[in-house]
Amino acid sequence: MVNPGGAYLGADLYTVDVEVEAGARLLLTTQSATKIYRTPGSFAEQRMTLNLGEGAQLELAPDQLIAYREASYRQNTHITVHPASSLLMAEVVTPGWSPDGSSFKYEELRLRNEIHVSGVNGPELLALDNLLIRPPLGDVTGMGFMEGFSHLGSLIVVDPRVDQALADELHALTAGCDAYTGVSLTAKKSGTMGLVLRSLSNSTGELNHLLGACTGLLRERWYGQSPLNLRKY
Amino acid sequence: MPNTATSYQLALQQLTDSALPTGAFAHSLGCETYIERGLVRDEASFGVWLGAFISQQLTYSDGLAIRFLYEGTKVAELDEHLTAQLLPRQVREASIKMGIRLLEIGSEAFPSAGLEQYRSLVAGGRADGHQPLAFAVVCRSLGVPLPEALAAYLFAAVTSLTQNAVRAIPLGQNAGQRLLRKAADDVAAAVERIGHLTPDDFGAVSPGLEISQMRHERQRARMFMS
Repeated sequence: MVNPGGAYLGADLYTVDVEVEAGARLLLTTQSATKIYRTPGSFAEQRMTLNLGEGAQLELAPDQLIAYREASYRQNTHITVHPASSLLMAEVVTPGWSPDGSSFKYEELRLRNEIHVSGVNGPELLALDNLLIRPPLGDVTGMGFMEGFSHLGSLIVVDPRVDQALADELHALTAGCDAYTGVSLTAKKSGTMGLVLRSLSNSTGELNHLLGACTGLLRERWYGQSPLNLRKY
Repeated sequence: MPNTATSYQLALQQLTDSALPTGAFAHSLGCETYIERGLVRDEASFGVWLGAFISQQLTYSDGLAIRFLYEGTKVAELDEHLTAQLLPRQVREASIKMGIRLLEIGSEAFPSAGLEQYRSLVAGGRADGHQPLAFAVVCRSLGVPLPEALAAYLFAAVTSLTQNAVRAIPLGQNAGQRLLRKAADDVAAAVERIGHLTPDDFGAVSPGLEISQMRHERQRARMFMS
């Protein structure tokens, strides 16, 4: 996906609808970092709808998100998977950019992922992953929020092959990284399950390395593919 | 029983008593990870953690669920949202474990049609039974106004966590009482804040708290189940 116009501006609304049909495989990435410039007046917004059919595979690997000083951004991602689809999505949120080099100068970031499974009794909600960072309301850097770190990485995996052993394996894989990481499992819905990994660190590079190690393991084990190398830069 | 202030006040005291047998003494809800790392180690540092827990977890998850139930959102829908939103497994299981106990206690002590409806959803596998929703259903049936129900729920959670910290860190009993007095102001601020949030805000718990709750699953020596 090519980021339109270089960056998102105030009151911009981008809608993206993606359908991965039964048995199809898609790798979706961006051309460069998603940048949100100052948004005086109204926030910028992206609404993304993703539908995965039976046996479909989707790997969502956007570049990092950079919110500039006085930026507000809302990203709503609504995903519906079939019990037999496979979803990998990774994301990195940076502390943003400001002219004086200080962090967390943006107004507000909202990143909300809603994942449903289309079961026999209609869609069931599997995971609701909601991130809200509002630096002007109070310190977001300390204990109980960013824990002294600047960057946030997250990985969500939905696949019937997700289990506790995989969660433990990914946790062990992240132990060598310079990051503070947690891995846990969702409840089981319609025969599939979700795995959520969250990680705090001090650079995009470190988080990309960590997330790449995890997706690399899954790509090899499940799809017989080598680790992702997009050679964008 | 008439819905006078006195009748619900005594019911609230019973429901928020730390001796209410829901098993809250067994859950640190991620605090034990901070204790193990040496980050929560005394009265001041526990106070910082507790402030974050009130303004994040208790505001965006438990508190908002209680408000939406009072405003008429169906309990089954809120129950599904809580299960999906509580991403750290131990915290999700804690909410359900304590919620099911509270549903049982409620049906013994404060039976109502609303409570029976929630219990039958849980019995039929159509809901999990979360603690804040069980509390809200009982309070609503007793005619407790929303702000009082929210304050009572939040302060009961804070009291359990503080008592657990007094044992685990450990802290003195007087330190525990000073912490509770200070936390009462944070609870009042959270009740005010919850009234102004929107459905989009539901579940926006900070990443630091969530990661610590997730890491508790793999902590070697632990006193608490979460």
